[in-house]
Amino acid sequence: MTTLWDTTGGAVVRALVAERRTGGAVTSGNALTLVVVVDEADVGEAEEAATVAASKHPMRTLMVIRRQVDAPVPRLDAEVSLGGRLGPGEAVVMRMYGRLALHAESVTLPLLAPDAPVVTWWHGAPPDRIAYDPLGVFADRRITDVCRAADRVAALNQRAVDYAAGDTDLSWTRITGWRAALAAAYDGAHDTALSATVSGDDADPSALLLAGWLSSRLSCYVPVVKTPGQAIESVTLGFSRGASITALQDGARLVLRRDNTPDSIAPFPDRSLGELLAEELRRLDADEIYADALGGVCGVPGLADRPPNRIHIWNDPAAAAS
Amino acid sequence: MTEATSAVQMEPEPSTPVAAQHRMHPAQPTSPDNLLRDPRDRRLPRTPEPCALVVFGVTGDLARKKLLPAIYDLANRGLLPPDFVLLGFARRDWGDGDFESLAKKSAKEHARTAWNEAVWRRLCGNIKFVPGGFDDDAAFDTLATTLDELRSTHGIQGNAAFYLSIPPSLFPIVLHQMERTGMASNAHSGGWRRVVVEKPFGHDLTSALELNGLVDRVFTAQDVFRIDHYLGKETVQNIMALRFANQLFEPVWNSNFVDSVQITMAEDVGIGGRAAFYDATGAARDVLQNHLLQLLALTAMEEPVEFSPEAIRTEKIKVLRAISLPNDKAAYAVRGQYDQGWLAGERAVAYRAEDGISGDSKTETYAAVRLGIETRRWAGVPFYMRTGKRLPRRVTEIGVLFKKAPHLPFSRTDTEELGHNQLVIRVQPDEGVTLKFGSKVPGTSMEVRDVAMDFLYGEAFTEASPEAYERLILDVLIGDATLFPRNDEVEASWRVIDPLEQFWDGQQPHLYRAGEWGPMEADEMLARDGRTWRRP
Repeated sequence: MTTLWDTTGGAVVRALVAERRTGGAVTSGNALTLVVVVDEADVGEAEEAATVAASKHPMRTLMVIRRQVDAPVPRLDAEVSLGGRLGPGEAVVMRMYGRLALHAESVTLPLLAPDAPVVTWWHGAPPDRIAYDPLGVFADRRITDVCRAADRVAALNQRAVDYAAGDTDLSWTRITGWRAALAAAYDGAHDTALSATVSGDDADPSALLLAGWLSSRLSCYVPVVKTPGQAIESVTLGFSRGASITALQDGARLVLRRDNTPDSIAPFPDRSLGELLAEELRRLDADEIYADALGGVCGVPGLADRPPNRIHIWNDPAAAAS
Repeated sequence: MTEATSAVQMEPEPSTPVAAQHRMHPAQPTSPDNLLRDPRDRRLPRTPEPCALVVFGVTGDLARKKLLPAIYDLANRGLLPPDFVLLGFARRDWGDGDFESLAKKSAKEHARTAWNEAVWRRLCGNIKFVPGGFDDDAAFDTLATTLDELRSTHGIQGNAAFYLSIPPSLFPIVLHQMERTGMASNAHSGGWRRVVVEKPFGHDLTSALELNGLVDRVFTAQDVFRIDHYLGKETVQNIMALRFANQLFEPVWNSNFVDSVQITMAEDVGIGGRAAFYDATGAARDVLQNHLLQLLALTAMEEPVEFSPEAIRTEKIKVLRAISLPNDKAAYAVRGQYDQGWLAGERAVAYRAEDGISGDSKTETYAAVRLGIETRRWAGVPFYMRTGKRLPRRVTEIGVLFKKAPHLPFSRTDTEELGHNQLVIRVQPDEGVTLKFGSKVPGTSMEVRDVAMDFLYGEAFTEASPEAYERLILDVLIGDATLFPRNDEVEASWRVIDPLEQFWDGQQPHLYRAGEWGPMEADEMLARDGRTWRRP
């Protein structure tokens, strides 16, 4: 591990090359570069998640921590490690002070693994518009988490307004287990589903996205019926011949209830942030199904047809504040 | 003018061939489409319909070491349907609980994925056992009623796959029992009924025809899944991706550019506890007939018109039928048997001194043969195949050796260390692909030496490769036959092996020391053609 205080981007690149050489990993491959944008207070949590993801994907992790944009003198501190505390891959943790924080791409661009896809993940509340953050503009995939925003429903709607192909959100990743269980239950039904209901928290982005997904797939309105308790309590599918299937969460188990068949019970564990991130990194192309679900629940049509590229919009928080 | 030029340069609209359009609707038009599934939605795993997996011979080695762990791994990865029953059948005085504890023990010992008690508790509620011998009519009647009952108690909807993890000599009796009780019939069960058969698929062409005839009669030909676990390996499937998804390799994949192909499957172990079976079988029937010829077929086949089971099998069978044997079998078909020696720092006994092997056994533990493929693409390119036990390391690979450049502008001394360009597909271990080519040695003078460019699965990909059995069992339950050899492939392979076995019959195999790369005669076989074996 190399720690560099008050350094330059060039020195960080040289330190990474030196680490690779001494680590004997000159030929090791990187399937992707993950750029993590995180606040100082959450560094521990983000590092833990990135470490889990790095153990499943050969990748280079670049953590960008923007600090004190109003500091008078710009400054860069960096920590370069290879096969160290941040998993088996290469990792650079960078703290940027002063105006440099607004030009983080000048440090990260030369550090991207050559010709490998770039994924940017905002650990905290997503930027209002991704085009405001240059670290999101050069990324092929952009991962946000609207659950970290103060107003989660507004943040979800903003994701639809701001959507470009290649965007995704962890509130969508959280419902993969639900979607897989519902699709498998549907397989056994041998019938066509005509209606669906989600019971849960009608202000929870995951519950809303699940309803959005069902409505885009079944071409019908799917309500989120408010119930006290978990974000998603249960989902009911109604079929054309009158049968219905209900999937309900009971702690770490998922119970599948059908007519004339005994209940089927499957483990349904909560997944850690690292596991969610690892799932997100498994695919590096645009997720059209997410676009349909997001568009469905937010009432914004044609999301899947949006172009994947954004152009950086200069947005100075200091100017906005004054 | 400019407009005309740009019109010419426009790419033609890719059109979907008729065959590919058929694929949209799979064979069994049983139920309406699942609206929640979409081929673009790759987060959702492929899961089978509700079904039961019935394993015959569930106390055997294969079941304990491979099948039961693979089923746990599938459950742990969330790939089994909500309604799934594992049903064991064996001659044991057991209840469900005894079988359950055996299954738990073997899953815990051999599973690939981490142990999760919650997954197991879920699975073990759906594990059943039916005791009985294969000649016991009553036991099979019980099995049939159990399957019928499971339809309502466990919602399996009449779907069942039968895994015959038993010696081939028992196939006829078990199949007749299934025929008698109507278990094998799709119509009778109201769902699908499939059967999984392990190698050996017979011991020569006649016995293979007999076996295929029987299995295909009791079940229908498309419901028979013959497992060649090599085809479940990620790298083997990658041969098709490498060849048909890239522009780079296919243009040189023919006799204009390829000098020769070497396919090797080496094992460091001896015969283990399989003495009786192995002594009656030998390396050629055990490995060459199935694994190696399948690897050869995938390496040499033409591009299938679409990536569907039928189209791929059609191309494979064409290659298998085009295989030619050497005229001079004495020179180009070598058999070996390991003698005592040292391997990995331990003393290894001779084959003839192994438990259960007679002192004058003529069974081969090593076979090497030069095959040809009589097609326009491959005429004149030798395919050297070899397999053996007690070789220095466990490795399977396909080496494609390219011809040397027709002219070298360098002086002879500059390129002394330049060999053939090679593309090596490492099937196991270190799954990946290596490309070998010449490169200048740094320094002032011109000197060219071989270097390797490496692609390693573990480094480039995100997902750990599943065990072959995981993949194949899942394919059986889903009904995808892409990775299973068809009956005519098996028969074509025996047409290659039978003449070799006839030639070898009664001959003494050449001895090689355990821990060596086979008998000297195999090296001489390549030396005769001016070539050498790659050291894998």
